[in-house]
Amino acid sequence: MSVVSTFVESFKESLLLKTIATIVVLGGLITVVIVFIDNFLIRALGTALIIGVLGGVIGVFVLLKGMVFLGEAIAHSAFAGAALGILLGIDPLITIIAFGLIASMGVGYVNEKKIMKSEVIIGIVFTSFMALAILFIGLMPFYSTDVRSILFGNIFLVSIENLIILFFVAVSVLLIILGIKKELYFIAFNQEMAAIIGIPVRFLNYLFLALMAITIDISLKAVGAILVFAMIITPAAAAYQWTFKLKKMLILGSLFGVASGFLGVAFSYLWDLPSGSTIVGVATLIFIVSFAFSPKRRKSGTGHVVADCDYCSKTILGKQYCLEESCLAKGIPHKHDEKGLLIYKTDLDRKKTPTRHEHDIGGEEK
Amino acid sequence: MSSKAIQDVVICLKDVNVVYGNLAALYEVNVDIYKGDFLGICGPNGSGKTTLLKTIMGLLKPLTGQVALFGNKVEDKIPKETKFKFGYVPQISDIDRNFPALVKDVVEMGRYAKAGIGKSLTKEDKQKALDALKLVEMDHMLERPIGHLSGGQQQRVLIAQALAAEAEVLLLDEFTSALDFKMTEEVMELLDYLNHTHGITVVTVGHNLGLLRAYCSRIICIDKIIAYDGTPKDPELDVVINQIFH
Repeated sequence: MSVVSTFVESFKESLLLKTIATIVVLGGLITVVIVFIDNFLIRALGTALIIGVLGGVIGVFVLLKGMVFLGEAIAHSAFAGAALGILLGIDPLITIIAFGLIASMGVGYVNEKKIMKSEVIIGIVFTSFMALAILFIGLMPFYSTDVRSILFGNIFLVSIENLIILFFVAVSVLLIILGIKKELYFIAFNQEMAAIIGIPVRFLNYLFLALMAITIDISLKAVGAILVFAMIITPAAAAYQWTFKLKKMLILGSLFGVASGFLGVAFSYLWDLPSGSTIVGVATLIFIVSFAFSPKRRKSGTGHVVADCDYCSKTILGKQYCLEESCLAKGIPHKHDEKGLLIYKTDLDRKKTPTRHEHDIGGEEK
Repeated sequence: MSSKAIQDVVICLKDVNVVYGNLAALYEVNVDIYKGDFLGICGPNGSGKTTLLKTIMGLLKPLTGQVALFGNKVEDKIPKETKFKFGYVPQISDIDRNFPALVKDVVEMGRYAKAGIGKSLTKEDKQKALDALKLVEMDHMLERPIGHLSGGQQQRVLIAQALAAEAEVLLLDEFTSALDFKMTEEVMELLDYLNHTHGITVVTVGHNLGLLRAYCSRIICIDKIIAYDGTPKDPELDVVINQIFH
């Protein structure tokens, strides 16, 4: 019993665990639904859910580690892989993953040895794989519609086999990422400090590159080689605007990813638009809204970026409310309750009902 | 220095040569750093100060020569447990203002390696992180984003991270360059306190010589070779400084 109760307790505490559980349950439900009602729309939604969550989570670390362009290069190498697969008449997924891994490991190696600037090697890898892709397409005796579908993607063409593979690969990648999330976080903060403290930085960096390549590769079919990287970077970049906490960023990133996927599929279905562009379009919209309303960029009347109370050091995004008991707002004694209500001592003396109000940098009530 | 026992040597560099391409960065460097040292390494730009620090930490491999840590025999491979008694505090000018990490998160990173991959921090880990923050007097800023702190405060948090990792040796790289004079002095006071009351060995690299002379118990002047190694009060230091800086 105690084991169960400990599990329940830790489950209650961990938002992340809840999220994963939700994903697994939803994924399972969708799988069941698909088995019984095989419908292209349900398959598309299932794909959108999986790619949304996976892209959102991976994207957070891609963003924090500053590897955005590398991801773009991997996406293009995957296109070359797909073209080769079609040319040779084998399952493109095999060649896609092979090319993705070659590109990511190659760039990773050059970066690690500091042979040249990373943007130089990424630019070279990026274009040379595109050249290979065009070469492979040119060698094809006839123009294949598969090429078009890999370049632009079509989430409605995802087959049951595709979806099942996608589901299992995505769950494995997600579990590994969440297993090494704190180490990745530290490496993103400062790689050298992480190495010295005993984090296996080198191994984890390569592992992450491989996971990123796999994520991009399996998402290819749904949104296409040109747009696939948007599923990784855009939801994460939108999530970045909202929070200073990694956990929240991960949850928001996957939520934004799933939302763009679902809405994108809906728009594409309703108005008969290319699914890749509607999905990425929604994601971009979410990003623009997040950017515009980001608490990180909001300015207070005094021209300071409002993010935390100068006197209590408590961060309440967007508003300068303090939560600390009896802190001093530059000589003005005040109290706060857990909802962030700020009560000045003068109010307390007069037994006024607490009202929600901000104070500016000078500690003055507005 | 020679009166100290051999087991008190925490870092021993023997005939170390480090080369970038075909440019020598360190030439035949021999240094013993003892437990409890408050060591300041100074030298002009490009003299190999940071290279020396990185060689000590194992981030750079010397071309020839050997590095031994914590009395371990001079060998190619340094045991893992030994390596992680170091805490590295880099230059902090490049922390993204909006990086999603609170002060608390940054200090807890110091416990990550001890917790192990795939495991979350225990209550004990979190307590140790909090204790380290208290030690550097930053516990009142627990919930602040790291990017919103002043340079000196960030430096304190990074020191706390190293302390949370139970580092016995603190290695600081040019931290003074991003701080104003008062902040620098405060951080030096803190290092001095940690050195005296907690027996933490401090190795700091910088070019503010006056500051290093005021706080350090030992100064090394470097200009690809070790030009001076001794107390900060020795008049010979002035002679050496005049030579290598002019």
